[in-house]
Amino acid sequence: MTPPQREQLEADVLIVGAGPAGLSCALHLANLIKKHNDSGGKPELSTENIYVLEKGREVGAHQLSGAIMNPKALAELVPDYEKSAPLDTPVTDDAALFFTEHGSFRFPITPPPFKNKGNYVVSLNKIAKWLGGLVEGSGVNLFTQFGGAQLIYENNGIAGVITEDKGIDKTGKPKDNYTPGYELRAKVTVLAEGTRGSLTKQLVEKYKLDNINPQIYSLGIKELWDVQPGRIAPGYVAHTLGWPVATDMYGGGWIYGLSNNRVSIGLVIGLEYADSQFDPHEAFQKWKTHTHIKKILDGGKLVRYGAKSLPAGGWYSMPRNYVDGGLIIGDSGSFLDSQRLKGIHLAIKSGMLAAETIFESLKVGDNTTKTLSGFQQRVEQSYIKDELWKVRNFHQSFQHGTFRGFVHTAFQQITGGRGLIDPMRAEAGYKHYKKLASPAAPPAHPEDRFKGDGQLTFDRLTDVYHSGTRHNDDQPCHLHILDSNICATKCVEEYGNPCQYFCPAAVYEMAKESIGALKLKINFPNCVHCKTCDIADPYQIIDWVVPEGGGGPNYEGM
Amino acid sequence: MKILVVTEQRQNKWNNTSFETLAAAQQIAKDTSSTVSAAILGKGLSSLADDLAGKNVSEVLLLEHDLLENYTPDGYCVALKQLIESTKPDLILFPHSYQVRDFAPKLAAQLGKGMIGDCIGYKNESGKLVFVRQMFQGKTNADVTFQSAAPWFASFQAGAFRADLVEPNTSGKASVNAVSVNLSAEQIRTKPQDLFKEAKSAVDLTQAPLIVAIGRGIKAPENIPQAEAVAKALGGEIAASRPICDEGWLPMERQIGSSGQTVAPKLYLALGISGAIQHVVGMKGARTIVAVNKDQNAPIFEIADYGIVADIFEVMPALTEALEKAKNS
Repeated sequence: MTPPQREQLEADVLIVGAGPAGLSCALHLANLIKKHNDSGGKPELSTENIYVLEKGREVGAHQLSGAIMNPKALAELVPDYEKSAPLDTPVTDDAALFFTEHGSFRFPITPPPFKNKGNYVVSLNKIAKWLGGLVEGSGVNLFTQFGGAQLIYENNGIAGVITEDKGIDKTGKPKDNYTPGYELRAKVTVLAEGTRGSLTKQLVEKYKLDNINPQIYSLGIKELWDVQPGRIAPGYVAHTLGWPVATDMYGGGWIYGLSNNRVSIGLVIGLEYADSQFDPHEAFQKWKTHTHIKKILDGGKLVRYGAKSLPAGGWYSMPRNYVDGGLIIGDSGSFLDSQRLKGIHLAIKSGMLAAETIFESLKVGDNTTKTLSGFQQRVEQSYIKDELWKVRNFHQSFQHGTFRGFVHTAFQQITGGRGLIDPMRAEAGYKHYKKLASPAAPPAHPEDRFKGDGQLTFDRLTDVYHSGTRHNDDQPCHLHILDSNICATKCVEEYGNPCQYFCPAAVYEMAKESIGALKLKINFPNCVHCKTCDIADPYQIIDWVVPEGGGGPNYEGM
Repeated sequence: MKILVVTEQRQNKWNNTSFETLAAAQQIAKDTSSTVSAAILGKGLSSLADDLAGKNVSEVLLLEHDLLENYTPDGYCVALKQLIESTKPDLILFPHSYQVRDFAPKLAAQLGKGMIGDCIGYKNESGKLVFVRQMFQGKTNADVTFQSAAPWFASFQAGAFRADLVEPNTSGKASVNAVSVNLSAEQIRTKPQDLFKEAKSAVDLTQAPLIVAIGRGIKAPENIPQAEAVAKALGGEIAASRPICDEGWLPMERQIGSSGQTVAPKLYLALGISGAIQHVVGMKGARTIVAVNKDQNAPIFEIADYGIVADIFEVMPALTEALEKAKNS
C-alpha cells in the first residue's frame, strides 16, 4: 500500500489514554489554564487544543482494577470529590489471610501493607467514567475509539502520535470505509496508555529510557460477582497469601466487598515464574474453590470477568519519564506501589504533576527536556517518591521465593526500604522460565483444557464471554509475531508454548494442522488488552499493537 | 374526511408496505365515511399508477417531475406541500419506511403540524380517530390523538396492516390525475449518489426453519459432506460454530453465535458442538434443540431438548439413512 495521505491536526497537548492518569492530567491542566486566564495571565491559553485519545469504545471500557483507592490524590484534583465521585464504599475491615489447601488463618494483626482503613472500595471503570465527564465539561477534546498507533519522532523526542488506520481488512487491504490514521502533532505528548503501553514500549526502547531494572509485571485476573445477601459486608477487604500460589511464585488473592451484595475477587500472579506451563487462569479458578471463597460465592452469579497486567517493578524500574516533547505518566511509567498494589492515586498524582509541568511549558513556550524534566523533579519532591522510595526493593525481594522475600522485606520495613541489598537488581520476568527437561505433553485440545463446573469455576471461553470483549473480525491481527517459525519449532521444545497458558483470554492456541504439524492460531477477537503476551513470551517476539479503535473489553462496573 | 395515502416506489418497484398503508386507509375510510386517494411521486410511473388505479381509491394523484426521479427529501417535501395545499386532504398517511422517516416529519413541520409515527393501529372512539403506537420497546401501547386542525400526518409500522387485504376497485379503474409540480434544482439541497448495492449473501440463516450445525467435533473439512447430507435429507441449512468458520471450512455467513448470526429455527441439530456460551447465545431461541456429542458433560446438553451421547460419525450416516427412508416411504 502506498503511504497514505494523512490528515494533520495540531494540538497544544495530546494525551494518549483516558485512564485515571490521562484524565487527571487533562482535568488539572484545564483547571490551571482556566485559573490562569481568569486572573488575566498572559499569554492566554486555551483548553480547546488539548486532545485526549482513548482506544476503548467509551471512557472506562478498558479500565480494570480491584480496587481500593487512596483518596488523597483525588482530593487534590476534585476537592469536593466526596459529594460527586462514585466511591462505592469506605473500607470497613481489612484482613490478611493465609490459605492452605483446606484451611485459612487470619493474621491477628493485619500487616501494615494490607491496612486499608481510610480508603475506598471503588470500581475504576466508574471512576474513569466520572472523571471523563469532568474532563469533557472542561472543554478538552476527548476522542474515544482512537488509539495511538505510532509515535512521531522528532529531534531527541516526540512530536505527536499517528492514530490507527481504520477500515483495513484481515489481509491488509483497504476496505470501502478505509480511513488513514490522523497525524496528531502536539507540543507535548503525554503517554498515559496504562500498563505496558505499546507506544511507551517503543519510546523507552528508542531512547534507552530504561532504569537500572527493567519493568517487571504481574497479571491480575478478576471476576465480579453478585452474591447472596449476608455473604459479604460492603467495605470488607481481604488479601490472601498461600494456596494455591506455590512458595517459589509471587502472588496472592483479593476479596473486596462492594455495596448491593457485589464482590470483587481476583488473583495476582507475578509474571516471573519458572514453570512455563503454569496457567494463571486455572490457578484463579482453583483459588475460588477454597472454602473461604466458596462460602461467599455459593449461590451467586458471575457478572463480569477481566484481566490486566500490573507494572510491579517499583522505583528502580521506572523508565525516565520525559523526553523532548513527551512525558510518560501512570502505569505506563510504572507509577505503582507494588507492596500495597495501589496505583490509582499515584496515577492521578502523576497526571497532575505532568499537568503542572506542561502548564509551565505552555507559558514559557518551551517543550524540550529543559522544562519537561521538571516533571521528574516534581515527582521526586512529591509523596509519589516518599511512597515508592520506601518500597523500592519490595518486588525484587521475592525473586528467590516467598521466604527469602519475607526476610528481605522485613528488613526493608525497618530501614525505610533499604533492606539488606539496595538497589536490589532484577531480571525481566520472561528470563525466569526454566527450559523444559522433557518435551511438554502435546497441547491439550482447547476443549479438553480446564472446564470448570460452570457454577463456581469457569473455562476461559465462558470467562472471556463475560469480559464483553469484541473486535471487528475483519481487520489485521493486532498481535504481531515477529518470528512465527519459532512457535512450532524452538518454543515447543524449550518452553512448550506458554502463550496458551498465560493468556487469560484464550487468544493463543497451538492447533494441530491436518498434516500433523503444530501451528500457532491467534484468536485475536478474544483479546482483553491485558498485555500479558507482550510481557511474558520467552522470546519476546509478540508485539501487541492497537487494534482498530473501539475494540476490546467492556469493563462495566470493573 | 379526505384521506391521502403517500405511496413509495424506488426505480419503478413498489415498496409493498405502501399497500399496507392503503389497506389501513381503506379501513379508516369505511369507519369514518371518508374518501381515499393515493399519491405516487417519481418519473415514468404510468404502470405503477395503473396498479393503484385498480384499487378501491377515489383517485390516483401522479406527481411526476425530472427532479423527483431520484428521491430527495427537499424534492418530495416541495412537491407534497404543493399537493396538500391544492387538494387539502385531512389525513395524510405513510408507510413507516426509512424514506418516510427522512422527509415526512420535515413536511409536517413545514405545514406547522405534528406527526404520529410508527403506529401499529388505530381506533375510532365515537368519531374521534385515535392512533396506537408502542412505547418502551413494545412493552406498552399509547393512544395518541391530534389536537390541532387538519391536515394530520401519521405513518403505520410495517406489518401493522395486511397488504393482501387492500380492496380492489370494483367499478373499473380510478382516474389517474397528473398533478403539476413546481420544482427547481435550487430548491434541492442534497445530491443523490448511486444507490448503495448490498452484497448479496448466499444464505440468510435467520430465515431457515431447520438448521444442522457442526462444531469442532467434525474434525476435518473432508467430513463436512456427511453433515451436509444430513442437512439435505432434512431439508435444512448447514451452519457452524466459530472455529469451523475461522478455519475457512465454511463461509462466515454460516457462523452462529455471539460474533455470527443469531437464529431461532424450528429445529436446531448441533453435531459435535460443545456448547460454549458464545455459540449458545446465537441459537438458544430455537424451538427444538437436538445435540449429538460424545462428551456427556458437554454444556450443550444443558440446553438441548434431545441429546445423544454418541460419536457423530456414527450418528450422521444413520440419521441421513433414516431421513431418506422416511422421505421415500
